[in-house]
Amino acid sequence: MKGPIISGAVILAGVFIFLKFLLPLFTAPLPASLIYLYLALALSGIMIYGTMSAPSLEAMMGPVYRFLSGQGQSGMGHMARLAVLVMFPLLVGWQTYSSLAPSDLPPAENRTIHPAPPGEFVGLSNPYPKTPENIMMGKGLYAAYCSPCHGANFDGKGTAAPGFNPPPADFTDPGTIAQLQEAYLFWRIKKGGVGLPVEGMPWKSAMPRWEEELPEEFIWKIIMGEYDGAHQSPRTWEEEE
Amino acid sequence: MLNGLGSLRTISIIGLFGVLGFSSAFASEPPASEEPGSVSVRMYQLEGSLPVDDPNSSQWDSVPGSEFNLAPQVHWPPRIQEVTVKSVKAKGVHNGQELAILVEYDDPTEDAGDAAALEFMVGDKPAHFAHGQEMLQVEGGPVNIWFWKKESGQAVDMSAKGFKTLETQPRQDVQGKGVWQNGTWKVVFSRLLKTEDEQDVQIEPGEWKSVAFAIWDGAIVDGLVKEKGGQKAVSTWWYIRAEPSADNSIFGWVILGLALAAAFELVIVRKLRKGQSV
Repeated sequence: MKGPIISGAVILAGVFIFLKFLLPLFTAPLPASLIYLYLALALSGIMIYGTMSAPSLEAMMGPVYRFLSGQGQSGMGHMARLAVLVMFPLLVGWQTYSSLAPSDLPPAENRTIHPAPPGEFVGLSNPYPKTPENIMMGKGLYAAYCSPCHGANFDGKGTAAPGFNPPPADFTDPGTIAQLQEAYLFWRIKKGGVGLPVEGMPWKSAMPRWEEELPEEFIWKIIMGEYDGAHQSPRTWEEEE
Repeated sequence: MLNGLGSLRTISIIGLFGVLGFSSAFASEPPASEEPGSVSVRMYQLEGSLPVDDPNSSQWDSVPGSEFNLAPQVHWPPRIQEVTVKSVKAKGVHNGQELAILVEYDDPTEDAGDAAALEFMVGDKPAHFAHGQEMLQVEGGPVNIWFWKKESGQAVDMSAKGFKTLETQPRQDVQGKGVWQNGTWKVVFSRLLKTEDEQDVQIEPGEWKSVAFAIWDGAIVDGLVKEKGGQKAVSTWWYIRAEPSADNSIFGWVILGLALAAAFELVIVRKLRKGQSV
């Protein structure tokens, strides 16, 4: 009599384990909302299967009805029923509280770290050759204008860095400039924090709008110096194709 | 049936204790210790008058604070590479009408040029933390700045929306009082939670607002003021909130939820028992 319920529970558990733990071994992890959706679909299938005929309905729901009615129960069965009857209202009460209680936490920030640049910056390439002289000049400019925040070692640990939120980018981290094209850095250096789009909110970036102080030549050479000093290479169109 | 009713009586009693447990666990008592790695200033609700004129009032001792790192202002010229004040502590209180924010920081010398400021976003539009300067891709909003200076001994209510737009408001709503002692400045800013000035930040209890800090060390070094104007220690945006009063109506809804769930159970159990006995 308990077969369909246990089978249904095993199927649901199997689906959950597959989606949550096995699938990520082969592809990107699924978001929790999608896992819940698949579980709901699996549960719907189990319910449809279990209620297709009167015998299957009795096989699936009969034990539940007898458990809840409590007739003929004693000992552990009686205690289990009591626990279920107590827990259900408490769960409803907790859910009611959770949905009504005001949040005590500050608003979540969904800042996009690398928002898309304006179209005019897409596809630009560094017009200056990567000669030792240009790289050296770029490093010198970096030391003068960028290192107080981004650090003499290109690691985001400049003398001013501890006060910033978000912290200055660590260029030695493979997740920063190595993921970006030179054109992207050119946009961020040229326009600074005020060049960020809506996705960059809240606008906390202290990055100066260097176009007001530095010629474009300096900016391109600073980019060269950054990549060389951080031992990273810019992402290129060739890699993306 | 009696068995079912007995169970529901038990449910009701346990539910009642549950509600009482909720009530005591979530009463709005401030936590006892300071928050490490703060992201917000919480203005706790006090009864009666606030310590608006006394930065050393014992009332502040009962309120937990927050601490925020400061950085040299490097966003626009004139920049500064090194600042005296590396972090600032903040505490806040309100009484439903008025608010007071205590700003505390280490500064080895008391100088006429010493100053402190709080900055808030105003209205619904987000603003850049640097004086609400113009964003290039989207229009931002203005900021409200409360600026206190040792020299004047007062706080000034100011507004800005971009560089070179900082101005003293025609209507002044902010008060300030600072005390320097043993290398520490304590400055209290106070104001009504809500004002009739549209240039002001309006504080609604329970609502998060954005706040930033700025500190100037006015010490004279080689005949020049060390930090003034754009040369200052700054923070970017953090959060601030006047803590709301405890809303006990929630517990009424919780009791209603419990009662409905218990009634639902009663109906189901009765129905099942009748069905089996027929």
